[in-house]
Amino acid sequence: MKQILKYILKNGLRDRLYLGLFITLIVSFSISIFLGSTMLAEQKQSTAAFIAGSSRAILAIGMILFVCLSINRAFENKEVEFILSKSIAREQFILGYLLGFFLAALLIFIPLVLIIALVTKPSIAGLIIWSCTLLSELLIIICFSLLASLILKNSFSAIMASFAFYTISRLMGVFVMAIELPQDLAEAKNHILATGLKFLSALFPRLDLFAQSSWLNYGINDAYGLKIIFWQSLIYIPLMIFMAFHDFKKKQF
Amino acid sequence: MLDLRLSYHLHSHKIFFWLFILVFSCQIFFWKNTEKFRIAFDIVPPAPSKYLTSALSFGDNEFLFRILAMRLQNSGDVFAGFISLKNYDYSRIYDWMKMLDSLNMKSHLIPSLASSYYAQTTKYEDTRYVIDYLDEHSSHNIDENWWWIFQAVFIAKANLKDMNRALELAQKLAQNNAKNAPFWTKQMSAFISEEMGDGCMAFSVIQKLIKESENGVRQIPLHEMEFMRYFINERLRKLKNQKFDPRKCSKNL
Repeated sequence: MKQILKYILKNGLRDRLYLGLFITLIVSFSISIFLGSTMLAEQKQSTAAFIAGSSRAILAIGMILFVCLSINRAFENKEVEFILSKSIAREQFILGYLLGFFLAALLIFIPLVLIIALVTKPSIAGLIIWSCTLLSELLIIICFSLLASLILKNSFSAIMASFAFYTISRLMGVFVMAIELPQDLAEAKNHILATGLKFLSALFPRLDLFAQSSWLNYGINDAYGLKIIFWQSLIYIPLMIFMAFHDFKKKQF
Repeated sequence: MLDLRLSYHLHSHKIFFWLFILVFSCQIFFWKNTEKFRIAFDIVPPAPSKYLTSALSFGDNEFLFRILAMRLQNSGDVFAGFISLKNYDYSRIYDWMKMLDSLNMKSHLIPSLASSYYAQTTKYEDTRYVIDYLDEHSSHNIDENWWWIFQAVFIAKANLKDMNRALELAQKLAQNNAKNAPFWTKQMSAFISEEMGDGCMAFSVIQKLIKESENGVRQIPLHEMEFMRYFINERLRKLKNQKFDPRKCSKNL
C-alpha cells in the first residue's frame, strides 16, 4: 500500500502535475487579482470569488487528466499486472491508488488555501467549509475518473466521460429547477425531457452545492446545504469505490 | 475503361485546376455578397435569463455574479473605445442590475455601480431606472441599505429633478432603524419638503424628531443635537420671515 502511495506521488512529480498545476494556479491568481483590482467596489471580495471559482475548475480538470492518464499508462505498461502479481488484494490496489491521487491533490490544495487566506483574508469559517467541500468534490471526481479509467480502459473515453460527469453534476441545480414532472403517467410521453432529467438527477451527485465562493466573502448562512453536501459525499464516494471494486474483481489479466 | 482511366490520369491535374478556379470564384462571390454583413453590436446586450444564469454559474452564483458585474461595469468599453452613457439603453441596465441582485443581494457592488457610475448620464430621464433599482434593492432591508436610498434621493433631486420622487424616497429613508445611520437620514424629508416650499411638512418632521427625543424614543448624540439646534434655528428664522403659521398645517401630517 505504502509503495503504491509513493508510486502515485512520484508519478505526479514525473508527469509534472504539481509544477503544471502550480503554474496554472499562479497565472489564474494573477489574472484574478488584476480583474478584482479593476472593480469599482468590493475589490477583495471580487478577487476572492475569481480565485475560488477558477482554482476549483483548474484543480478538477488537472486531477481528471492526471487520474485518467496515470491509470491508462499503468494498464499499457503492464504495471497493474506487476503490482497484482505481489501479495496485494485488488481492493487494496484500488484504495491505494485512490489515496495516492487524493494525497497528490492535497499537496496542491494546501498551498492554494494558504495563498487564498493570505491574499483575500476571507471569513475563517467560510474558508474552512469551502476547503472541506472542495476536497470532497475533488475526491468524488477522483473516484469517478478512476472508475471511468478502469471500465473504459481508454484514456480519451475516460477523460471525456469524467468531464461530462463533472459538467452534468455541476449543472444538476439547473436540471432540478427545470424538472416539472407530469401529474399522471398518461402525460409522461409529453414530458420525456423532464423524466430524463429526473432520472439523471437520481444518478448524479449535487456538485453544484459544493465549494461556494460566497462562503469566502459572507461566511456560512445555510447549515441545511452543508448537511446535503455531507450526506452526498458520504453516500457517493463509497458508491463509486464499491463499483470500482466490483469491476476490478471481474477483470481478467 | 482503360482509356477512361488513362485519360483521367493524363488530364486530372487540369480538372482539379478548373475545379479550384470554380470554388475560388464561389468564395469571391460569397465574399461579395457578405461583405457588408456586420455582427450586431449592442452596448448593453439583453440581460441573461434566470435559467441561463443558473446554467452558466455551474452552481457557483457568487463567481458568476462577480464575472457578470465586471461585464456590466465594462459594457460600452469595447474595441479600445468608449461610448457616452447617454447612448446606453438604461432599461437593459436596469434588467442587468435586477438579474445580478438575484445572484447576490448582499453585495454593495451593483448599487455602487448604479449610483456612482450609471447615474452620471447626461440624459437625466434615464436616471429614473437607476433610482427605481436603488429603491427596489434597498427596500429588501432598509436598515442595511439606507445609504443607497439616500443616493436615490440625491439622484432624484439633483439629476432627475423630480422632487416628489425624492420626497417619497426620503420618507422611506426616514424609516431606517440602523445604528450606524446618521440623524440627518431622519431629517431628509424635512429638507426636501422645505425646498419644495412645503413648510408644513418640514415643520412636522422636525416636530416629530423633537418629540421622539423628549420622550426618550430616540437617543440623539450631542454632535447631532448641536447640528439639529443650528438647523432648527436657521429654519425657524426662515419660517418666521415667511410668516409661517404651524396652526394652519393639516393635522394629518
